[in-house]
Amino acid sequence: MIAALLLLIPFITATLLMVMRPTQHARWLAMMSSLASLAVVLVAWATYGGGTVIQADNDWVPAWGLRFVVGYDGVGLLMLVLTGLVFPFIIGAGYGEKLQHPSLVNALLLYTQAFLFGVFLAQNILLFYIFYELSLIPVFFLLLYWGGEHRRSITVRFFIYTLLGGLSLLFGLLYCLGQTGMNGDFSALSGLNLPADTQIWLFWALFLAFAIKLPIFPFHSWQPDTYTTAPLQGTMVLSAVMLKMGLYGTFKIVFAVVPEGVEYWRWTVIALSLIGAVYAGIIAFRQTDMKRLIAYSSLSHVGLLCAGLFAGNNYGITGSLYQAFAHAVLVLGLLYLMGALKERVGSSEMGAMGGLKVRMPRLAALFLLVLVNAVALPLTQSFVGEWLMFAGLWQVDGWLAALAVVTIVLGAIYMFYAFQRAMLGPDKWKLEMHDATLRDHLYLVPLIAITLVLGVHPAPVLDLVDAPVQLLLSALP
Amino acid sequence: MSALILISVLGVVLLYLGFGNNRRLLAPVSIAGLLGALALFTTGWHIENALVLKDLVRFDGFAMAFNRSLILVTVLLFLFGIDYYARMKENVAEQYALMLFSLVGALLLTSFNNLLLLFLAIEILSIPLYVLAGGKRDSFRSGEAAFKYFLQGAFASGFLLLGITLIYGASASFDLPTVQAFAATAQGNVLFLLGLFFTLAGLAFKVAAVPFHFWSPDVYEGAPTLVTAFMSTVVKMASFAAFYRFIEHMQLPGQVHTMLVVMTVFTLFLGNIVALRQSQFKRLMAYSSIAHTGFLLLAFLGTSDRTSGVLHYYLTTYALATVGLFVVLTLAKRAANGDENIRIFRGLFRSAPWLAIATMLLLLSLAGIPLTAGFIAKYRVFALGISTGFVAVTAFAVVMALVGVYYYVTVIREAFTPTADAPQLVVAPLNWLVISFCGVAVVLLGLLPGLIGG
Repeated sequence: MIAALLLLIPFITATLLMVMRPTQHARWLAMMSSLASLAVVLVAWATYGGGTVIQADNDWVPAWGLRFVVGYDGVGLLMLVLTGLVFPFIIGAGYGEKLQHPSLVNALLLYTQAFLFGVFLAQNILLFYIFYELSLIPVFFLLLYWGGEHRRSITVRFFIYTLLGGLSLLFGLLYCLGQTGMNGDFSALSGLNLPADTQIWLFWALFLAFAIKLPIFPFHSWQPDTYTTAPLQGTMVLSAVMLKMGLYGTFKIVFAVVPEGVEYWRWTVIALSLIGAVYAGIIAFRQTDMKRLIAYSSLSHVGLLCAGLFAGNNYGITGSLYQAFAHAVLVLGLLYLMGALKERVGSSEMGAMGGLKVRMPRLAALFLLVLVNAVALPLTQSFVGEWLMFAGLWQVDGWLAALAVVTIVLGAIYMFYAFQRAMLGPDKWKLEMHDATLRDHLYLVPLIAITLVLGVHPAPVLDLVDAPVQLLLSALP
Repeated sequence: MSALILISVLGVVLLYLGFGNNRRLLAPVSIAGLLGALALFTTGWHIENALVLKDLVRFDGFAMAFNRSLILVTVLLFLFGIDYYARMKENVAEQYALMLFSLVGALLLTSFNNLLLLFLAIEILSIPLYVLAGGKRDSFRSGEAAFKYFLQGAFASGFLLLGITLIYGASASFDLPTVQAFAATAQGNVLFLLGLFFTLAGLAFKVAAVPFHFWSPDVYEGAPTLVTAFMSTVVKMASFAAFYRFIEHMQLPGQVHTMLVVMTVFTLFLGNIVALRQSQFKRLMAYSSIAHTGFLLLAFLGTSDRTSGVLHYYLTTYALATVGLFVVLTLAKRAANGDENIRIFRGLFRSAPWLAIATMLLLLSLAGIPLTAGFIAKYRVFALGISTGFVAVTAFAVVMALVGVYYYVTVIREAFTPTADAPQLVVAPLNWLVISFCGVAVVLLGLLPGLIGG
């Protein structure tokens, strides 16, 4: 029931929007749909009693071994909650953007949501793959139609890059199915026991897709351009939810199918991730455009997420999953603020801003509260996640933990430097500018509240992922 | 058998109708006849191993499935033909009749049980096509296409005939099961080996596999669009069915198998890579057709009882997507005064949104994106390749599928790029019907792949 609702509510609303094209009420309708999905997700969370809940288990095409199995475990539910929670904010961001054809924009967003729910609900690897690829298509059109400069070439690069990963994943999955003759259900994945030398190469066939989606160094070259060119809502979808697909896929598929491959490549992946995190942090410091800065900061955060996951111990994996949630909330706030400033100043170049605090003290305060989460100050959500990952990496090797700390310090530097350039300094604005409006408050205050509440009391989320993580750890070599 | 006779007679009837200037009747009569044939194939004829004509023809489940798809695709093409030939002054009846005769060849190709009949069927299929390719008599390029196709086709027929002769020399039989049984004992028989090489080369020409593909871009570009669509769907499907028929139960000698692997790799590579550089839509479709030949050849590398089902599914869905796209091309080409560059699609979404969405679905299906039939088709081919042990070739095919996505997406990007002077398309209701049918079919078959050939 829950799975059906989650797949159908956004899908049907999106189709309605496509067909009816109600320009006036498009955003309202989309918002209602996303709130309904959120309610369903919260009901699922409230009634969740542990274990894996399977909601449908049917053969699709029995002759070819295609199966339709949907359900969720703790980690899946966390991702569903994340998707459900994020989309009202993404759609809400559209009120400030005023893009052309709002019905089409919202339809594409809702299609994305439906497919993302599909990704996190799928309990069969081929079904997972199908939703994984499908979620790319609405985003492709979002970027192509409403993107900024050079969008045509950047969009196609993004599409091809992601599909490269997707097809490699398909190849890896087909190889697993062909070799073992299993039906591809997640419940059967951990019992595969492929030979060790197969696992070593198969790891990259499977992981490449997620490494590109996340993205980690050196598969990241599509990311900054795409994030910058995409319309605000597209960037939100990409950074807040879609990159979590990479994390989820790694956790759910790569770790389960090729545990020995993970063990073999662990140091390589951690090294790449941390190199990427530091490297992106340094580049972020040099950015003058705020959207580009957020793109590189996201890249830096993701590197840390991936390193935490591959630390392969309780702290590291739990922290990584927790931080995935925190990062989504954080990046929504940052991007929204960027949009709000751009709306007032007319550009996202930080050189054009400066001294805004005098004109809009409330917005500056909200900005600072969001930043507090970005730099992982204690009592915020990011602190919990980053501390856990830090502890996980420390257990693996002290130097890794030191490198992770460098990225956190870098994060604090570039974030506050950005704040300084945008908000502080002499008041150079002749015109009257309006301070944070009711809409800005409605948007940012809930995000900040989530950050603080889950920063002080992270147990609900940690409980959710604990059992699946323990299960996974017991299967790792 | 009666269906074959029906279609042949139908062709003759159409020629007579052509004398009487009953142009309005042509398409309805031929479509009605085809539907009759389809009914004959669907109802009383589904008999396993029904050997007819002194064992020359075998109408088994495989042939029946292909024949139904072939007739269905031809019906779609004829529906499109009503509008397409409406502007043609004379000789319309001949066009329909020739296509029907060619279809008879195609139907025989799927069901031959004797190597002589294979040759006959290929000739019956090809000779009307040589004429059809030159259908625009005042067009230089159409004439060029016909001439090229004829010369190279004749060359390939020679190859095929030589191959059949050599096989006969080795095995002393034209009967397909006998030849296939002989193959198991023919290790190191040079005569037989050469025979296989030449026969497969002749068939490879028909499916446009590298290095026998040179005709296809020029002929596709020069021939009238409807004929191009016919060639890339009906002819391709039938030729692949024949290809499968021929090597179905045959234990291929190692050298021939290596040739097949090399051919697959080169076809995949060349089709996809060259397609990247095309700006003319018809040439793009020609190279995409070569690329799809590569994916289909992948299914032939190993032996599995699933191969026939995979082929049928792949070819049917490929044909549906291709027919729809050629109809869209014709409409866009008219609006752009005969230009065939992919730029003519620019702004399609603005001027005809539903047409653009249907085009997108068809292109996504060719590219193999999930929830379209093309994805399931590619999935099955890859799964087959891996399960029969050709992991490296499959990995290469996967990479090439990615390259393929690029050029299809380029066309989608054109269709969805806003422009000030969007093409003003005039869509006749019947064309609408054909495009929607193809668009719905590729999605429906993607969601419920069990609908055909389960």
